[in-house]
Amino acid sequence: MTQSHTKISQYPPGDFAIWIFIYAELLVFGIFFLSYAFARSQNVELFNESQLNLNRISGAINTLILITSSYFVVRAVAAIRENKSLLCARWLLAAIVLASAFIGIKLFEFISIYSEGISLSTNDFYMFYLSMTFFHFMHVIMGMVILIAVMLKAKQGGYSNEDHTGVETGASYWHMVDLVWIILFPLVYVMR
Amino acid sequence: MDKTTTTKSNLRPCTWVWLTLMVLTLAVLTVGQMGLGGVTIVALLLVSTLVKTHIVADYFMGLKQGRLLWRMIIIVYLWIIVSMIGLAYWLGIS
Amino acid sequence: MQYKSQAVAKPYFIAAIALFVGQIVFGAILGLQYVMGDFLFPEIPFNVARMVHTNLLIVWLLFGFMGAAYYMVPEETETELYSPKLALILFWVFLAAGVLTIVGYLAVPYATLAEITGNDLLPTMGREFLEQPTITKIGIVIVALGLLFNISMTALKGRKTAIIMVMILGLWGLAIFFLFSFYNPENLVLDKIFWWWVVHLWVEGVWELIMGSILAFVLIKMTGVDREIIEKWLYVIIAMALISGIIGTGHHYFWIGTPEYWQWWGSIFSAIEPIPFFMMVIFAFNMVNKRKRDHPNKAAMLWAMGTPVVAFLGAGVWGFMHTLAPVNYYTHGTQITAAHGHLAFYGAYVMIVLAIISYAMPLLRGRAAANSKKSQVVEMWSFWLMTVAMIFITLFLTGAGILQVWLQRINENPMGFMEVQDKIAIFYWMREVAGIIFLIGLILYVVSFFVGGDEEEASS
Repeated sequence: MTQSHTKISQYPPGDFAIWIFIYAELLVFGIFFLSYAFARSQNVELFNESQLNLNRISGAINTLILITSSYFVVRAVAAIRENKSLLCARWLLAAIVLASAFIGIKLFEFISIYSEGISLSTNDFYMFYLSMTFFHFMHVIMGMVILIAVMLKAKQGGYSNEDHTGVETGASYWHMVDLVWIILFPLVYVMR
Repeated sequence: MDKTTTTKSNLRPCTWVWLTLMVLTLAVLTVGQMGLGGVTIVALLLVSTLVKTHIVADYFMGLKQGRLLWRMIIIVYLWIIVSMIGLAYWLGIS
Repeated sequence: MQYKSQAVAKPYFIAAIALFVGQIVFGAILGLQYVMGDFLFPEIPFNVARMVHTNLLIVWLLFGFMGAAYYMVPEETETELYSPKLALILFWVFLAAGVLTIVGYLAVPYATLAEITGNDLLPTMGREFLEQPTITKIGIVIVALGLLFNISMTALKGRKTAIIMVMILGLWGLAIFFLFSFYNPENLVLDKIFWWWVVHLWVEGVWELIMGSILAFVLIKMTGVDREIIEKWLYVIIAMALISGIIGTGHHYFWIGTPEYWQWWGSIFSAIEPIPFFMMVIFAFNMVNKRKRDHPNKAAMLWAMGTPVVAFLGAGVWGFMHTLAPVNYYTHGTQITAAHGHLAFYGAYVMIVLAIISYAMPLLRGRAAANSKKSQVVEMWSFWLMTVAMIFITLFLTGAGILQVWLQRINENPMGFMEVQDKIAIFYWMREVAGIIFLIGLILYVVSFFVGGDEEEASS
């Protein structure tokens, strides 16, 4: 027992390949964050003024949603470690439902911005806001697809307490999506 | 130690992490709604971001139990990103 | 060679090498024309030599990719090719189309060629790299569709490995994006936007899939490392290549009349384009360290290991050098671009095609696992001559480019284009010398096929 445990903790949870991917993705988001911050330092007033126009409440709700969804995924991993496949699938379903709520709120944000006639070309702030949130949005969709696949397999009893790398892989990716948003929200919506 | 207790003991800190994240996010929202800005506020926001991302990486992602290398990559990344953002904001003030 | 139908790859590989020689001969002519403008004028004007040089490159690499596909597909899917006969017919169609097009470029003025090939009916000619007459383009589409039909049918009835799926995806992408060469809008901005969908999405998109799958195939064969590990790496690499490469198209949209946000999008996404190449380096060296056998074909191993390294330098480092919009503002369309183009094409695509040829040819010729020691030594000499010569070509062009940017664009009293060309002539001369050495390396490469001696047996 102890033996298998030390073996597990050699590497982070999930597939080795997903971690290479996660680090590469973090790098892309990192470049985006720093580009935003340094572009802002060239034009503080414009950024501060445009930032006021964002819907901070919906941004914060989305943060709470993603955090909670991430926590549900933690519960799902804990469930499969106890060999409870159905419970694992149920926690994943809850996480996916929250993810769809995130998508819905984000779409609402995009539509209201769009109806104000704002586009990528309006100014540098909106260019970054739209690019970064849209890029993240695509990651949420991608993460949802992964979670759905994992959930379906869990439902069919495809994982066990001995073999659940798939669940951990999906979970790690989802936490990355969460992690990035935790930086993005204060940076773009609040910091001035 | 059997597996059930390990999972249980792993789960409890995660629940605390979740609650901390919720509270910190609400704090960030409050700062935003009050329209606060300036060096101190930006520093506080950055520190809270660092704390939040740190605990997500350590507990949610489970990097705390893994080999140090994997954890260090993310921690170094977070410190670099957060401090560079801080630098950029500081440049914006002066 | 485990399957009889793999033999159809052989004519493809031979044609590829023959056209490669043609490309380099024209490259040498072209290099001389940079410093002696009237060399071979009016028989072969500069613009024609350039067209032949670049078009031959594309055609021979396509021959190489197709040969690689025909060689790899039966072995990977563990079944004979759906139709070897179709593959041979397509070979002759493609060769005839390619050779006739080149003869057309050389024999008649370009405008006349456009007229006699009926360009008026569906105008597609006159754009860089897509100069081929419309009928040649249609021929390329037919050949590509035939190839896709053939290998897709083979894959459907056989084993479906990740390597072959990535390769088929790459080849489908290659065919689909080529269709944009038929779209030739009046609006110059639109024209350029979609022109890059062929040019960029080929070399920085779908071709990377083909490259990745060939590299993975050669590494599996040569190192004996578990397929599972190699495929995992392949997935991560191509995912990164596509994410960075597709939006990275934006680095061509900086100054062509597209919205300003492309300067950010293009800079950010193309800045991560080196990552998949870097991962390829780590991947290749990791696999060799984990090898379970020592393959006797040392020459093929050299090409396979050289590919990711030089690709990372040429595509990754030299690409990154001028990909950020504020830098590109000064370097756009200078010799820096030429330097990058040379090392990137050589490292990523020339070397991977030579790697698969080097691996497959001894087997296709019915030899044991590898050529004789003597033959391999000659081939390895050719590797070092060509690779070092290409690195020097790149360095000299980079020198020329830096000087050009300085004199022509940054300087307080900028000089005119032709005036600057005179100032950097010394770099062009040195480049030409390096180019001749490259040609010697290539001749040595061809010679290595005719060196005899005892063949190397496979060691298990």
